[in-house]
Amino acid sequence: MIRVLHLRKGAQSSVSNATKYDVIVIGGGHNGLVNAAYLAKAGKKVLVLERRHIVGGAAVTEEIFPGFKFSVCSYVVSLLRPEIIRDLDLPRHGLEILPLDGTLTPMPNDEYLWRVNDHGRSRREIARHSRLDADAYDEFGKAMQAMCRFVKPILSMVPPDPATLNPKELMKLLFIGKRFQGLSSEDKYNQVQLMTMSAIDFLDQWFETDVLKATMSASGIIGTFLGVRSPGTAYVLLHHYMGEIDGAFRAWGFARGGTGAISNAIADAAREAGVEIRTLSPTAKIIVKEGRAKGVALQNGDEIYADIISSSVDPRHTFVEFIEPGHLPEDFLADINRYKFRGSSGKVNLALDGLPNFKCIPGDGPHLRGAISISPSVEYMEKAYDDAKYGHFSRRPYIDMVIPSLTDPSVAPPGKHVMSCFVQYAPYKLAPGLHWDTEKEKFGDTVIDTIAQYAPNIKDIILHRQVVTPLDMERDFGLTEGNIFQGELSLEQLFFLRPAPGYARFRTPIKNLYMCGSATHPGGGIMGAPGRLAALEILKDGKGGA
Amino acid sequence: MADARDIVIVGGGHNGLVTAFYLAKAGFKPLVMEQRPQIGGSAITEEIHPGFRCSALAHSAGPLRPDVIRDMQFEKFGLRIVTPEAGVVSLSADGRALTLYNDSKRAAQEIAVFSQKDAATYAEFETALGKIGKVIGEALAMTPPNIDDPSSGDLWGMLKTGRSIRNLGRKDLYRVLRWGPMAVADLVSEFFETDLLRGTVAARGVFGTFLGPWSAGSSLMLMIRAASDPHPAGSASFAIGGIGAITQAMAAAAQKAGAEIRTGVEVAEIRVKDGAAYGVVLTTGEEISAKAVISNADPKRTFLKLVDSTHLTPDFVQKMLHYRGNGTVAKVNLALSRLPEFTALKNSNPASLAGRLVIAPGIDYVERAFDEAKYGDFSKQPYLEVAIPSLADPSLAPAGKHVMSIYMQYAPYKLKGNWDEQRDALQSTVINTLGGYAPDLPNLIEAAQVITPLDLERTYGLTGGQIFHGELALDQFFTMRPLLDWARYRTPIDNLYLCGSGTHPGDGLTGASGANAAREIVKYLKK
Repeated sequence: MIRVLHLRKGAQSSVSNATKYDVIVIGGGHNGLVNAAYLAKAGKKVLVLERRHIVGGAAVTEEIFPGFKFSVCSYVVSLLRPEIIRDLDLPRHGLEILPLDGTLTPMPNDEYLWRVNDHGRSRREIARHSRLDADAYDEFGKAMQAMCRFVKPILSMVPPDPATLNPKELMKLLFIGKRFQGLSSEDKYNQVQLMTMSAIDFLDQWFETDVLKATMSASGIIGTFLGVRSPGTAYVLLHHYMGEIDGAFRAWGFARGGTGAISNAIADAAREAGVEIRTLSPTAKIIVKEGRAKGVALQNGDEIYADIISSSVDPRHTFVEFIEPGHLPEDFLADINRYKFRGSSGKVNLALDGLPNFKCIPGDGPHLRGAISISPSVEYMEKAYDDAKYGHFSRRPYIDMVIPSLTDPSVAPPGKHVMSCFVQYAPYKLAPGLHWDTEKEKFGDTVIDTIAQYAPNIKDIILHRQVVTPLDMERDFGLTEGNIFQGELSLEQLFFLRPAPGYARFRTPIKNLYMCGSATHPGGGIMGAPGRLAALEILKDGKGGA
Repeated sequence: MADARDIVIVGGGHNGLVTAFYLAKAGFKPLVMEQRPQIGGSAITEEIHPGFRCSALAHSAGPLRPDVIRDMQFEKFGLRIVTPEAGVVSLSADGRALTLYNDSKRAAQEIAVFSQKDAATYAEFETALGKIGKVIGEALAMTPPNIDDPSSGDLWGMLKTGRSIRNLGRKDLYRVLRWGPMAVADLVSEFFETDLLRGTVAARGVFGTFLGPWSAGSSLMLMIRAASDPHPAGSASFAIGGIGAITQAMAAAAQKAGAEIRTGVEVAEIRVKDGAAYGVVLTTGEEISAKAVISNADPKRTFLKLVDSTHLTPDFVQKMLHYRGNGTVAKVNLALSRLPEFTALKNSNPASLAGRLVIAPGIDYVERAFDEAKYGDFSKQPYLEVAIPSLADPSLAPAGKHVMSIYMQYAPYKLKGNWDEQRDALQSTVINTLGGYAPDLPNLIEAAQVITPLDLERTYGLTGGQIFHGELALDQFFTMRPLLDWARYRTPIDNLYLCGSGTHPGDGLTGASGANAAREIVKYLKK
């Protein structure tokens, strides 16, 4: 009741001193910022509304403990589209990517697998485990590159609508068909398998070393509620390969100053292009009149009007929370409610007094400067998933660790370090009787105990610990059900089905309302592609006079 | 001097017989060679105990594709198919039964006892499955197009299917696209809230596969099965005389059309010269030359055992080695002194036992059963499908007695232990599980026949014990069955063709693969 009055009061105030914008972008995550920057560069007057006190969404750096700067959620970068780095001139705005060299997988028997960016060295390392796999590794690399070359243009393409009869759309479908035809029969075979198989079934055809398959398959399950044996995960494996073949072999890396630095660079580029960014401005409603989006009502009651609203937050916020019932077709709403989030991962960020000492490779060294993956066997990975299926966090989870302070001292006090642990599985929906607020620290303990099996000194060097559960991601970062990709990257939610059948083209059933977040094609990761593609579509409609 | 033949068909399973029939109709003289004493492959009725005859492997037909039934005129050969009105009865752990009658209204009434909401959505789901199934049925009936250069025929076929897909309308079109790769657990949850109903329908999506209800792509299997039967949980299609009566009738039809059938003759090798098959050699050493050889055996057996692999490219052999086909189904057949009493069905009439009894009381139940298989154990609480063929045909057992046919899933071919040592453990697991629903069952057993995945391979020639001649999954379907670019019933070896379940569509006891194969092979042979 009070809210209603409040809103009305706001309405009056806004009538008096309301500035009119061409576009309002809801959400200051990296996609929202990219979207805004491209629109402003095209001459639009753009306002970005961010709920929190800082921009970046899930790509933020925060000083949770004095002197220790955590990349709280997203912690590595590789998928960021090169054209965006170019168009927005991000290096000039302070973006600096530091290499993250290789992946170390410690094993229970104090053995290890250590792959680095130097192909020759990785090959020799794999040969220690299996000569056959060392040979296959070359072939595999080539095959994946071919696959990426095939998929990339599709990533930067607006998904066609298979249900229309519009010749232009059908041409697009034909284009994909033609590209597929163009592939060698070997590549066709691989492509089809990548789209349909499980990561393990796919890798089984190439490799015999269990730990190698387990570690490679991990990238196939990140951010999904699938196991390494679930069909469809082979594709996500490719999705994560993209980064590794951008231009000259560019591996995953850190941004100097933490992941937040990426968002800040994009925000800087956006501001330079004339974008206005308001933090601490949570959206309450999207104002819709006669099926057209007219503006945004903030939670403080202010109403801001614009010709176009572009939402970078996930579909549940956009369509279920922000839009009054009655404005949307029932079928569409049903599809949105059906859209699967199902967060499956958590984060544990550590402030360390020293460096972890791994039994397999004792002491400091280059092995700590890359990613450290707790993925000792395929069965280990699959069992971790089994726990999650029945509503428990993995008793022995898959963990992907990095120690950015080794590459970028600015994020920790001298001699001290920060360690970022991405943990899967941590299912958002826990079994009946369990709640994340009571499971949170137990989850943290499980992660530390797991790491301690490989680096026993970890417990002695922890100064501070931040545990981020899927519920925290939902509450603090507005990621529904804690899904880091704004919705599962599963086949039935990709391409022309993302986020809803018939609405994969950034437009919505409401005129002048667009989507530009990770919940649209081509999906999550610090890629920026959805934000850019959406901006181009908005501009196209502008020309055509939507 | 080698016996010279027109066409030799290796294997007298139902697809081989269907192919033989159509080839004979087209004027050829096919000779079917079956290694076992009786034809039928996986569709046979065997005496499991003196006086007790049971559908040894399969117990319910696909059901058969209508055009196959029409063309082969089974009724002329005395085949009688019964489809019990109570098609599927699903039992819950808490002693309740859900009867899914073929008539969706009656089914809805039963469901309403569990959930009004589900009763309402059941019809909607069945209608959607029916519409989608019809279109998929067209895809199942067509020869997968040639990827590299589609022929005009291919394009026409695709166009036709394309059109009927469009005619589905936007909503169902998107359903096809969305459902295909989905986990069947998600699909059923979109429609139903009752776990018993969810489990029962989902089970149909994972039957015979190495998938659990939470495995992506399991919905496609449900859709494929809906093509031959739109009932969400399927129905029952039994033959008087047991499932073997179907293949007996097929054999009779094929012979009448001019095919010749020899049983108890095992083909040791398919002879190839200069990249072309020219005959077969039997284990007895007998040689039979032929203008064409058609293999009803599964692809792995055909290319890795029957053909000398030096006639194939290493690449093809590699891919064939990777063709996935590790079975998950075991069979337990029981000779019973009388009909067991199922707690959940105490006061209902025996007719409620006439269909398929399903033990898949929930999604998690089936998924947990699957979990064990992933790590090389068989399910301790398995998903079961039970049929009592002697209800439809009392002559299968002595007066008053019965035979019971039980599918057990999951029983992984790749077991940690040795299947021959696990046989008894498997049997007691199945009987104890079922005993939980019919307490008197263990005391009624006069004899039991256990068929492990290893038996399926050794005795019935199913490589890896895979009952569909290779895993049915997205990556081994349509243009990819058995291998991408080899889905058109031809092989890299001239005059050697495939007609078994390892070819498109490979959807169980429907005769589809055999009929599709015959259509193509006749074309090639008449060129």
